[in-house]
Amino acid sequence: MKDRLEQVLKKFSSQCDYLEVHIEETEESRVQFTGPQLTDLGKKVDFGGNVRALNKGGWGFASFNSVDRIEEFAQHAIDQATLVGKDRSQLADVDPIRDDVTLDLKSDAREVPLERKVEIFRAYNKQVLDHHEEIASSSVRYFDRFHKRWFGSSEGAMVYQERIDLGGVVAAMTARDGDSQSFWVGFGSTDDFGAALGLEGKITEACDVAVEKLDAPKVKGGEYTVILDPRLAGVFIHEAFGHLSEADNVYEDKNLQKVMVLGREFGRPFLNVYDTGLDKGLRGYVVYDDEGVPAEKTYLIRDGKLSGRLHSRETAGKMGERPTGSARCIDYRYPPVCRMRNTCIEAGDASFDDMIAGTSLGIYAITASGGQTNGEMFTFTAGTAFMIRDGKLAERVRDVTLTGNVFKTLKDIDMLGDDLAIHDGPGGCGKSGQFPLPVSDGSPHIRIQNVVIGGE
Amino acid sequence: MKKIIEKALAKGAERCEVFYLNSLETEVEYEASKLKNLSNTEETGHALRLVKDGRMGYATTTKADGLDRLVDDAIATSACGESVEFGFAGAADVGDAKLVDERIKGLSVEEMMKRSEDAIAKLLDYEGEINAESGTKRRVQTVSVATSEGFESTQERTLYQFYVGGRLIEGDNMLDAGGYYGGTTMDAGGPKLVDETIEDFTNGRTNVNVTSGPTTVILTPRAVADVMLTMNYGVNGSIVERGISPLTGKLGETIFDERVSLYDDGLMETGYSSAFFDDEGVPMQRTALVESGVLKNFLTDLRTAAKLDLPLTGNGLKLKRLIQTKELGKMPAPEITNWEMDGGDTPYAELLAGVADGVIVDSIMGIMMGNLVAGDFAGNVAFGFKVEGGKKVGRVKDTMIAGNVYKLLKDQLVDLSSEVTRVGLMGGIGSHRYPHLLLKEVSISSKG
Repeated sequence: MKDRLEQVLKKFSSQCDYLEVHIEETEESRVQFTGPQLTDLGKKVDFGGNVRALNKGGWGFASFNSVDRIEEFAQHAIDQATLVGKDRSQLADVDPIRDDVTLDLKSDAREVPLERKVEIFRAYNKQVLDHHEEIASSSVRYFDRFHKRWFGSSEGAMVYQERIDLGGVVAAMTARDGDSQSFWVGFGSTDDFGAALGLEGKITEACDVAVEKLDAPKVKGGEYTVILDPRLAGVFIHEAFGHLSEADNVYEDKNLQKVMVLGREFGRPFLNVYDTGLDKGLRGYVVYDDEGVPAEKTYLIRDGKLSGRLHSRETAGKMGERPTGSARCIDYRYPPVCRMRNTCIEAGDASFDDMIAGTSLGIYAITASGGQTNGEMFTFTAGTAFMIRDGKLAERVRDVTLTGNVFKTLKDIDMLGDDLAIHDGPGGCGKSGQFPLPVSDGSPHIRIQNVVIGGE
Repeated sequence: MKKIIEKALAKGAERCEVFYLNSLETEVEYEASKLKNLSNTEETGHALRLVKDGRMGYATTTKADGLDRLVDDAIATSACGESVEFGFAGAADVGDAKLVDERIKGLSVEEMMKRSEDAIAKLLDYEGEINAESGTKRRVQTVSVATSEGFESTQERTLYQFYVGGRLIEGDNMLDAGGYYGGTTMDAGGPKLVDETIEDFTNGRTNVNVTSGPTTVILTPRAVADVMLTMNYGVNGSIVERGISPLTGKLGETIFDERVSLYDDGLMETGYSSAFFDDEGVPMQRTALVESGVLKNFLTDLRTAAKLDLPLTGNGLKLKRLIQTKELGKMPAPEITNWEMDGGDTPYAELLAGVADGVIVDSIMGIMMGNLVAGDFAGNVAFGFKVEGGKKVGRVKDTMIAGNVYKLLKDQLVDLSSEVTRVGLMGGIGSHRYPHLLLKEVSISSKG
């Protein structure tokens, strides 16, 4: 395959400022139970590639399944880049990497027969359905994907990377009188099928929560002091700040550059936020990004001040900053764009007990069913939550959706816990039509003042 | 396709279904008011569903020389597959399976660039500080379905998508506005979308506060589309089958205000999700979900229709409709196509004029994260206005809206506008036609 890439690069490189070729082969296995039914059991082979060309600042991109016609698509991408380009190409300099990244696994999902996988998840599914009479249904999903990616560039880079990505969720749905609730256990890994094993204890807890949520009253809307558990705080920092740190939002927007100037204060002096590709085993683990740039640990906020952003080679080149290895695509059908990897709030020194004890009226929000941002405002939903009254955890409440504003809410973080935890789930991040990209996030417990919660 | 069927039968399959997808897409993208990227996507691949020893097997491949492996994988998965209690589509006449606009096929890259450039020029003419973006996309998609029971048909569809919008930053205030169109024909709506976007920028530049509590709310057709995403679960045959839909067992019962009629229309003229047959070869149709407040039908695929003993509605779709994905997808399952709600009797201008104190909600962020199955939603009002004395007085921010679709359309509905407007869901699939809805006592929570 490398020879084929070299041939294409050699033949076409002289026609544009920069050229890269990706080829990818993925083998996927999936198991899905919906209620008692096995609703999806499948195998997928996905083989395809793309050519991306840069000429005078303009990009041309062609993706394809017909890999035997690669030269035709390469010419197409170059012609289009030439049509677009009217300026000059600016890519941050990097050393062209020539490397092979092969698997280094704790436990190989590919060696587990499909029958065994079906057995494992059928057992979890049965555990959920048998747990309680008010559990009306279940949803159990599992996938593993083995990717082989070849990347070559006209600058001499040639990177072959293998990667396993696996994840899943076991969810319980309860129903009573036209009302329904759910709770779940998620998992994910890039090096360990063991992440899918031994979940029985957590599943029992999740089933209990799903049942208890039927009795929980809806939260009353308004402004509250909120304590987020590490899972929810991870989603919070991903939505509240991670996306705004992606440099492709900023690099051609002069007004946003004024807002996102390095050194601007976003949080109190104890707030530190980073995004890293270096944590092996996490779904956000990246050795080389999809431009062949080594991933690194990038501080986004240091001592409360904006200290970095997530770059592709182009955004770094145009802003005169360092590339961070953050250019990622979900697969060969898409060009790489600035994305997160594993985004974390660093631990502070508060204990969880102190946070609760110091809150007279508030909400303790646990785990996330998702989040979204439009840059300035963001919103995310807790999986479950409790009221805090007079410094103590009180009754469970439901339907807790929070909103915030990047310019206000980060400054309202007034306590950071000492219990940093990093989590992986089966989901992913969506941007520019590319969903789901595997990412991770982490945080200690955090406390935030003045958070708007929706509710009746 | 026939060869795959023969191979599968030769390897012991009792029956099978082959799905083939070929798609050619061209896109021009403008970012920061400049042409940024031109892209071409060629996709082609096969999916195979088969029944062996009474059990279902499934596999997909995008490898041209991978068809033997495809059959082997599908046979292998059938060994632990579910037992099958429904048949694949049989021989049927699904009519002229072409939804083709020759203008889309012949659309040149230069013409696509001109469409986006004109839109951006007009937007910048209004306000040069806007960081404008636009895209024009054309797609020619061929889908074939063939079964061992004799169904075989190919349909070709042309798809056109256009968006224009931008972000205006003044100090720390960010204002995003934009419009989107998607359909099987080219629409002349480009200039109209720009005009609407300019109107939004004009109205949205001043921020005002809103008080928390039960509030009179107008949902625009775009916001109605956001809220109705919750109902997509309630009427979905597979959710009903699982007993967790709040509508389970309620066919024939009044669930909404009698002025509410709602349809899933797989044949909507030029609708983005319109086609003649679904991804299982079942004819697509216009299905009444709710008529005059009465629940009429659930959306089914072959499996759920057999299981629940319900009519087939042609909603067995593989390619995800809610989140657009460019791949062959999972096994078919009930998915929405295009939705339409009947309008009421009151012109929108009159509806608005009657609101003494309220909020217009035009788009809701985060709606997909709620407890959708139960119809509950809560989200940030990404774009909305305060209304006083029947007039928009400014944009509301840092504000949440929450509710339950089954209460909203039953007890909280005051009126529906007579105008019904088509909206597309950006990033999602489907064309949807909704009126403006005037609602009472909707929960609004806000800062200050």
